[in-house]
Amino acid sequence: MGLGFAVGVLGVLILGHAAYSTIQYRGLLKIMEEEFSGPPMNVVLELLLAFLFCIWAALSVPGKFLPINPDSEENRIVSLPDNLDFMIFNHRAKVSLSEIGLKLKH
Amino acid sequence: MAGRSDSGSSEKKSSEATNDVPTFSAENLQSNMKIIYYSRTFMSIIGGVVAGILGFTGLTGFIFYFLVMAITSVGLIAKAKFSVNSYFDSWNRILLDGFMGGLMSFVLFWTFAYDIVHIF
Repeated sequence: MGLGFAVGVLGVLILGHAAYSTIQYRGLLKIMEEEFSGPPMNVVLELLLAFLFCIWAALSVPGKFLPINPDSEENRIVSLPDNLDFMIFNHRAKVSLSEIGLKLKH
Repeated sequence: MAGRSDSGSSEKKSSEATNDVPTFSAENLQSNMKIIYYSRTFMSIIGGVVAGILGFTGLTGFIFYFLVMAITSVGLIAKAKFSVNSYFDSWNRILLDGFMGGLMSFVLFWTFAYDIVHIF
């Protein structure tokens, strides 16, 4: 989480620097009276780097996917509740039903 | 999780047709969807800024958006360890959800970055 966030911030900073470089390049072109045909090579490389960093951040920062299948490892209930001493397994239905004559399985 | 899986198990003996109803943890699915929206929104903002700095106009920018979303989808599938069915109930969740909302963010930041870099 922390590392991904830092990488994302770094990517955004590189993006800002690339934007600033492009603005400067436009200013240079204006002085030399040339037309803008495409951003310079170092800006393209910076953008690519920033994009990769941001993909990393976008995939790692939000957290992990949780499995949705009820039979997957993490969703299986393996621990018993803590208040086992207070659980009641005998209740009046056992007595009343046996009086009537129905037998309950134990 | 409770309601759907319970009804599925209780009717298991009565009819075979209800066994086909998929059971899954709705809470975990919702959490996964939130992660998907987060990633897509962030990637469309970043993609918009990149498209603006590169100076894309018109159709090129929208093609770039499709490209970015495709890369994001591949990244998300890789994040799900290529077993999409254990984290989502259908492929459309991972491929299409958040696409239109992301497009709005993309266009906003695309024009924003383009204006800052190329016009002012």
